[in-house]
This record gives sequence, structure tokens and C-alpha cells, in this order.
Amino acid sequence: MSNHIYCYQCIVPPHMLRKIVENGSTAQRARAMESLSVSGQFRGQRQALTEMPRIGPLAAAAEAVKQRTIYDAGFGTTLPGVKVREEGAAPSSDVAVNEAYDGSGYTYDLFLDAYQRNSIDGNGMRLNSTVHYGRGYDNAFWNGQQMVYGDGDEDLPPDQRIFNRFTISIDVIGHELSHGVTQYEAALAYAGQPGALNESMSDVFGSLVKQESLNQTAQEADWIIGAGLFTSRVNGVGIRSMKAPGTAYDDPILGKDPQPAHMKDYVNTIEDNGGVHINSGIPNHAFYITAIEIGGYAWEKAGRIWYVTLRDKLQSSSNFSQAAQATYQAAGELYGVGSPEQLAVQKGWDGVGIQIGTGNGENQGCLAAPLTFLQSLFQPKKSMKKESSEAERPEHW
Amino acid sequence: MRINFERTGGFMGMRLAVEVQTERLTSTEAEELETLVESARFFDLPAILKPQTGSADRFQYKLTVERGDQFHTVETSESAAPENLQPLIERLTYVARSQRFT
Repeated sequence: MSNHIYCYQCIVPPHMLRKIVENGSTAQRARAMESLSVSGQFRGQRQALTEMPRIGPLAAAAEAVKQRTIYDAGFGTTLPGVKVREEGAAPSSDVAVNEAYDGSGYTYDLFLDAYQRNSIDGNGMRLNSTVHYGRGYDNAFWNGQQMVYGDGDEDLPPDQRIFNRFTISIDVIGHELSHGVTQYEAALAYAGQPGALNESMSDVFGSLVKQESLNQTAQEADWIIGAGLFTSRVNGVGIRSMKAPGTAYDDPILGKDPQPAHMKDYVNTIEDNGGVHINSGIPNHAFYITAIEIGGYAWEKAGRIWYVTLRDKLQSSSNFSQAAQATYQAAGELYGVGSPEQLAVQKGWDGVGIQIGTGNGENQGCLAAPLTFLQSLFQPKKSMKKESSEAERPEHW
Repeated sequence: MRINFERTGGFMGMRLAVEVQTERLTSTEAEELETLVESARFFDLPAILKPQTGSADRFQYKLTVERGDQFHTVETSESAAPENLQPLIERLTYVARSQRFT
């Protein structure tokens, strides 16, 4: 029944509408364009329209040029602060400024090189970052227009500091910028499962930014989010582990990494918008398994599958199961039904306790709700429990 | 006066919390907190001061203050906290962070 609830705004999936615009009759094209512009409102902005080929002025995409500007808030909270480095300018003497500049550059490059996306909005948006935000500000965020980074525990005596500056970790920078991409695409609601997917998308692309910058394969990567953020006082390697969620830190002061790696350990909580930074461990791990299974550079195939899913197939209310179906469908479209890549996606979600539906995925999603219901009447229900060594891990709490 | 302070969310999704009893503080520290609660008009604030949807990686706060027979809880977020409440949140955040090793 929940399928019906999330389908209320969905008539024909955007990728089908795109096909109609490309290949349909004049009347069909006009109707599809209208539908896309309506669904584009739900997707935060209208990426579907700007990326459409051969439709007149909209096809005139902005030239792909990186435009980074770094500001310094001087430990205040007024944004954006004082401009300290612009695109093409020489490095600053301030390491945080250079990290924000370089990290946003690597993020821009990943989205352009791997996915042909011109910046956060797909239309050359300027990349603005503010460093030295607030006093003792142990956080980084995307405010809808720009990235913002604090310096961690700079205001505490050195022996009491547990956090370093937040620009220190390139995947944190990629994470924040990817929130912007999500905002312009699926616009996943920032609560519950859509919120955890929103967080997971940022961890996925944040980690891929790091992997591409280091030229690491999936096997070589550490899959740690926020490596370097902790000072030596903390027993931990970073904030989250996509390879082994729940194991990034275990510390007398901070406690233990609370992330689950499997649906059986899903955390129901009202804190943190329903545990968006906790349950993101589940889709994070599904991506990790998929990337390892495919092998090679994770941004090339696994990353493309996730990117196309975020761009074309998810909507603000999408849950884990719908995301799983959507990635499976995207993999089928990109690499072929039954391809090793599509099977890797299936294995990834299976490893976290989420089953992909039968068929090649083309029947999943908005149009499939009545069909799925009919199928369920005639097919024996599949067991939800499936043996998987990937899925098993010790209970931590 | 007793204050319970909780911060959740943020990029790290870690909980930070502290309970402060002003009777146990120096008179200067106690007076500072009394002033911040007063200037926030804490007991007149609505119980929920949050945007409908959360914004990515920002903090959420829950503050409970007991003073005499007054008792009030306010839930808010970094982007929604009123300006006159922010100094109290900043002070309590600092207290919580600086007491991690004590």
C-alpha cells in the first residue's frame, strides 16, 4: 500500500519522458515536456529539462568551467565572509583555504569527467566555500547555496581536542557538494529512509571524489568517510566506514560508531532526523559491495549507476527498497539486463538484506504498484531471509 | 537552576549532551547562564522551533530548563534557533565540549 502513497506525483518516469521527447511525435513531445516540467518542480530544479538533447534553447548548456571562490568567516557565522581565493589564484598561506579550493575542484572534476555533469546544478553553478566558520565549530554543511567548514576543536586546549579542521578530509568536501547535487535532482527529503539515502549519496560521491583524486581502485580504497578528522586522542579511523559500517571508531569519550550494515540492525530513532547519519550505513554498504563486485575504479560503473539513479529515478520520498530497485533498473539500462554489473547491484543490496524484485527492473517503480500487487497474488512470497556471508557481522550493541 | 542540553545531527551524527546545575558552578558562571536564559526569554519560547524539513548536516538541539517552579523544553535547530537563543546554545555547546574529558 505504501507504493500508492509515494506514487501520487509520478505518472511516467522521467527517463521514459526523455525518450518520448527525443523520439515521439510533436504532440507526444509537447505532453512529455509538460510532464517533465511538472516533475522537475518536484526534483528541486529542472535538471531533466536542461539535459534534454535537441530541444532548442534549453540544449545550449553553459560551457563547463570551474568557478571556485573561497571565503573566510574569521570564526564568525556571517556567510559567506571575506573573499580569500578565487579561481586560478595562487595558493594561500592558509591550509584550510587550499583544501577547500582543491577539494571542491576534485569534486567538480569527478562529476564532469565521470558523469558529464557541469557542477552542482548541472549548469555551471559557482562553487563557493567558507572556511573558519564559527568558534569550536565541529561540523561542515551545505546551506543550499554553498559549503561551510568549521575548524573543529580549535578553541579548546590542545590536549582536549578531538576534532581537526573539517577541510582536512577531501571526502567531507565531496560529501557536502553532493548534498547540492541531490538538492537539484532527487531532492530526497532529509528525514527517515529518504534522509538516510540523501546522506548515503553524499558519502558515496564523497568517497568517489577521494578515490579518483588518489587514483584508487575499489579494492585499494579505504572507504572511510572523514579520515583525518579525529585527533590522535580518539580511537578511530574516521567518522563512518562504508566497507564495515559500525567499526569506524570505538572510543571512551565518543562511544562507538552506531552505523548498521544490514536491515536487521536498522536503528529506529527520532534523533538526527530519524537517524539519517546512522542508517545511511545500510545503502553505503550496498554500494561498497556492488563496487567491489564490479571491480576496477568504483566511480566508473558503480558510481555511474548510482548517479543515474539519483538524477533520473529517485524522488523526495524514495525509501531503501525503491532505491535498490531503481539502481538495479539503472544498471540494466546502462550495462544490460542480466549483465555482471546488474547482478553486482543485486548482490550489493542482498548483502544488506534488501531483495531486488523479480524481472529486469523495468516494471518496478511508479507504474508497477498495481502489477506488483497482482503478481503477489499469483506468486509464492519470497522468503525475506536469505543466507549471505556479507550480511553477517557480530552484534556490537 | 538546572539545564539539560542535547545536540544531535551534524555531519558526524554524534550526540553531544550535558547537564548543568548552576548551584555547582562558580557564581560568575551561574550568573552568566542565568543572564543567557533571561535574554533568550526561554520560558516564553514555543516548544518546537524547527523548519519542516531538516537541512543537510546541520545540528538539532533540545534544551530543558528548570528554574524554581518553571520547567520548559525547547526543540530547535541550527537554522531555526532565534537570535536571542543562540548565545545560550553556543555557551552550552562549549560547556559540553570542554567537559568531555572531565
